[in-house]
Amino acid sequence: MSSSAEVAPVGTLPDAHVAPTEEPSREPKPKGGIGLTIILALVALVWLSPLVLLVTTALRPLSDFVANGALSWPQEWTLQNFADAWGVGNFATTYKNSMFLLILKVPLGVLISAMLAFALAKLRLRFGTAIMFAVFLGLTIPIYITIVPVFVLLRTMGAIDSVPGLVGPYLAFGIPFEVLVLQSFFRQLPDELIEAAKMDGAGPWRIFFTLILPLSTPALVTVFILDAVSTWNEFLFALILLSSDAHKTIPVGLLNFQGQFSNNNTGLAAGILIAVVPILIAYIFLQRWIVGGLTAGATKG
Amino acid sequence: MTGTYTRRGFLGLSAAAVAAGLAACTGGGTAPAPAGQGGTTGPASNDLRWFDYESGESLERLKEQIVKFDAQAGTTTTVDSLPGSGAAVYPDKLRTELLGGKGPDVWRIWGGQIGAPFVKAKQAMDLTPYYQKFGWDSRINTEAIEGMTFEGVKAGVPFTARGIGAWYNKALFEKAGITAEPASYAELEEANEKILAAGTTPLGTGGKYGWHIMRLYEYLLETSAGPELHDKLLTGQESWDRPEVVTAFTNFKKWQDKKWIAEGALGLDPTDVEPQYVQGKNAYTIVGQWTEPEQIQTAKKDSADFGVFQLPTGHTPQRHSGFVEGYMINVKSGNPDKSAELIDFIVQPETQKALKVGSSAVAGAEPDPKESPLSYEWSQGPGKQPFYTIQDQAFPKKVADQYFSIQSDLLQGKITPEEAAKQMQAAVSAWAKG
Amino acid sequence: MGTATLEAPAVDSAVVRRRRRRDGGLQAWLFALPALAVYVIFLVYPALTSVWFSFTDWDGLSPTYNVVGLENYIQMPKDPVVIQAMINNIIWTVVTIFFPVVIGLALAMLLNGKVRGKPVLRLIFYAPAVLPLVAIASIWGWLYNPEYGAINAFLRMIGLGSLAQPWLGQDSTALAAVMVPGIWLRVGFPMLLYLAALQGINQEMYEAATVDGATKSQQFWHITMPSLKPAHYIVLALSLIDSFKVFDLIYAMTYGGPGTATQVMGTWMYFNVFQYYQAGYGTAIAVVITVIAIAVSIPYVRSQTKEHAV
Repeated sequence: MSSSAEVAPVGTLPDAHVAPTEEPSREPKPKGGIGLTIILALVALVWLSPLVLLVTTALRPLSDFVANGALSWPQEWTLQNFADAWGVGNFATTYKNSMFLLILKVPLGVLISAMLAFALAKLRLRFGTAIMFAVFLGLTIPIYITIVPVFVLLRTMGAIDSVPGLVGPYLAFGIPFEVLVLQSFFRQLPDELIEAAKMDGAGPWRIFFTLILPLSTPALVTVFILDAVSTWNEFLFALILLSSDAHKTIPVGLLNFQGQFSNNNTGLAAGILIAVVPILIAYIFLQRWIVGGLTAGATKG
Repeated sequence: MTGTYTRRGFLGLSAAAVAAGLAACTGGGTAPAPAGQGGTTGPASNDLRWFDYESGESLERLKEQIVKFDAQAGTTTTVDSLPGSGAAVYPDKLRTELLGGKGPDVWRIWGGQIGAPFVKAKQAMDLTPYYQKFGWDSRINTEAIEGMTFEGVKAGVPFTARGIGAWYNKALFEKAGITAEPASYAELEEANEKILAAGTTPLGTGGKYGWHIMRLYEYLLETSAGPELHDKLLTGQESWDRPEVVTAFTNFKKWQDKKWIAEGALGLDPTDVEPQYVQGKNAYTIVGQWTEPEQIQTAKKDSADFGVFQLPTGHTPQRHSGFVEGYMINVKSGNPDKSAELIDFIVQPETQKALKVGSSAVAGAEPDPKESPLSYEWSQGPGKQPFYTIQDQAFPKKVADQYFSIQSDLLQGKITPEEAAKQMQAAVSAWAKG
Repeated sequence: MGTATLEAPAVDSAVVRRRRRRDGGLQAWLFALPALAVYVIFLVYPALTSVWFSFTDWDGLSPTYNVVGLENYIQMPKDPVVIQAMINNIIWTVVTIFFPVVIGLALAMLLNGKVRGKPVLRLIFYAPAVLPLVAIASIWGWLYNPEYGAINAFLRMIGLGSLAQPWLGQDSTALAAVMVPGIWLRVGFPMLLYLAALQGINQEMYEAATVDGATKSQQFWHITMPSLKPAHYIVLALSLIDSFKVFDLIYAMTYGGPGTATQVMGTWMYFNVFQYYQAGYGTAIAVVITVIAIAVSIPYVRSQTKEHAV
């Protein structure tokens, strides 16, 4: 909504400028900054507190856990669970598979979703409304009911029990929310910028890569993170479409800690911590790009 | 109008509906299995696929044994396993694979109404000829075989029959002044009072999925109704709207009211609650012999500090509840004969012992008395008694879930035992008729 | 695109202008095609196939089935669990949209401003969403344990022991109890989206407003909120659909129980399709979920697509 601001609009378009670092100088020097920080830090501690259980469970031997219960303070501490979990959860293999999926699918998915979003938002794609509804459809459908047809489909293509075979369904199920989020952001980019570039003789591809994408870095990174997390944690399709141990992904590998009658909770906790580390690292690294850093923020009028 | 869910029919649908690009995409990889129903085409394959839900060390042991079989039978068997979560996720995957045309040759499954759908849908083979060929009738516990017989069709080969009993913490029993294992229902109630007076919640049970706390109920039902009536109730031949059932429900509520089970037991997760008798937070729990390795031994405690007894019903025969697990063969298997041979190999007593099956249905495969003393004790005593199928496998899941709702309402005091009996009858009769 | 000609330029440029106005033409399709192709093959087509089964009595396992028309849909209102599930769904959706969005927006504002240690804080508030569900369900299950759980222990410690109760074990509190981790998990998503959206707001507006003497609160309501309108739309739309479809968390924490007290449409659909061998009926429930969710999204789609009527 490029004309929703109620303050006087900017007359001419200033050039895109590089946004300053994390503390923009738009406000006077923060006095209350520390107070707010402390309050937020306390809230954050409470927020995080349930995860303490995860850590204590991972750091105690299973015998201690079973003998004393989940909520007891460990009487013995150990790091052995991590070493054991690596084997039990078959992490050497599942890490490889999950990483492969992540690196292949997420950038590809964001790219093709951005392309479709661009077509919908700025290129006046024919049947745009119908396509938008179709995209929403993908978001609203509970994916469980599609599992059997997808299985049969992949079976026909000979892609059962193969990690690359998962890419198709994963891409498809990521598209709805990525496209919707990105087209929402793209729509807000001023048409004038695009017209200006067209005047300079740029075709849509050049506009896309040199103008739209850089200007939308916050949105792209956000979508990237959300997609990475859901790809990393995706369970149902990986469960049904993969069978042999050599092809399992991390979430399916975590099942190894659950037995028919009891769970290896300490191993599972250690396994979960092992499993989330890459995503947390990716998040820490990427979220800088959502705010500040080197993003080129377009100003809006 | 009927439709046929064949792979060919499915592809026909797709060719009509989707752009040609898909139809051209057959890709490389494995050759598609024969489409359509039944039968095999071409010569029997020596590549078998075994699908199981074993995990950890027991899975390793299984794989070892299967390798042995392969060596002597000239087959190559792939073992896939989907551990965890009990009867929840495993049947889904099995189902999907069968629908997609690439099911395993042999799969493991529970008996009763969990295995039944696969037989009804004609995905599992009738194994009667193999029963004759290998003589399984004489080598395997008869009741276990019944658990794998569906409307007269012997479609599964059981390898374990797991009986449910009361496993208790000796120290807490002593502390409460209980000198002998309860031999009647009245004595059990007394024991509960003593334990409670000594400061512990007697029975550890959790109703999160319904079935754990149900184990208490079905014992109460067996006690008030007796074996014959109980069996008829489980098949819907007799009405549940009767005094014996009301008594069972009344007693059930009593256990909650008298605090013999924890407040809020309905919301507790069985995996959290079961070890509590080992932790000393409860005096006993109702469970199968797997508790010895999984809970007592994993906690590095000594079996000598614990005991097990059959819940006293006061009837003859004194029965306990139990369930069966076994193997089925895919109707579309590439080599049913070899598959049956493989199953036969697994249910040999030596193999069962090597696999350390805690409650094998195979004669001559008792647990090791030194390694698992309590399991051995059970197998020699109550284990030889007849058992009735646990309720949530006796009923299809839908009816079992309806029972769980009734159970939940009763224990929260929202309905009376009389109403519970009536609702149960409504649910069971609707199923029995259909 | 129109071709330039040398004769009768007036007429031809009108034609050219008309053609260019209609749509983005081939170029737009080139952009759209990869995503659309994947989408149609791996999602739309399987989805439509499944919808077909809602008109049958397929059990989800047999090779054959019968077509029963609308029978499954007619049965639905007579199913007491469906009614309960729908009510639970509505309550769940309202609560798990409202709190996460409000908290997420607040956090985005705060973590975009003058607070120290922002990266760490942003990580912490988003972290729950990164965990596998099995972890969430176990941890909160332990916290809610009536005898030993941290929540009741805390209540007893601060003298509110009378409030300590079996949260997950009684109909009256079970759904609310699951909503707490539900909110805890869902805050990260709006927080991230709002953070991204805040980057696109012209800072000069704030400077001008401060010079004019506007208070922070006025700036928030008159600059920030309106500028975030597109973000509000997308956050609400996506949260709504995601909340309405809820399945995993409830299934893992209460399994729809006690009894059927916490059944929602998503879990009830799952039970019917996968556990009761009533794939036809369960799929019909799924279709109903989808239709309701789409109906709700209509205003959003309209708002997005009418802007660019040329």
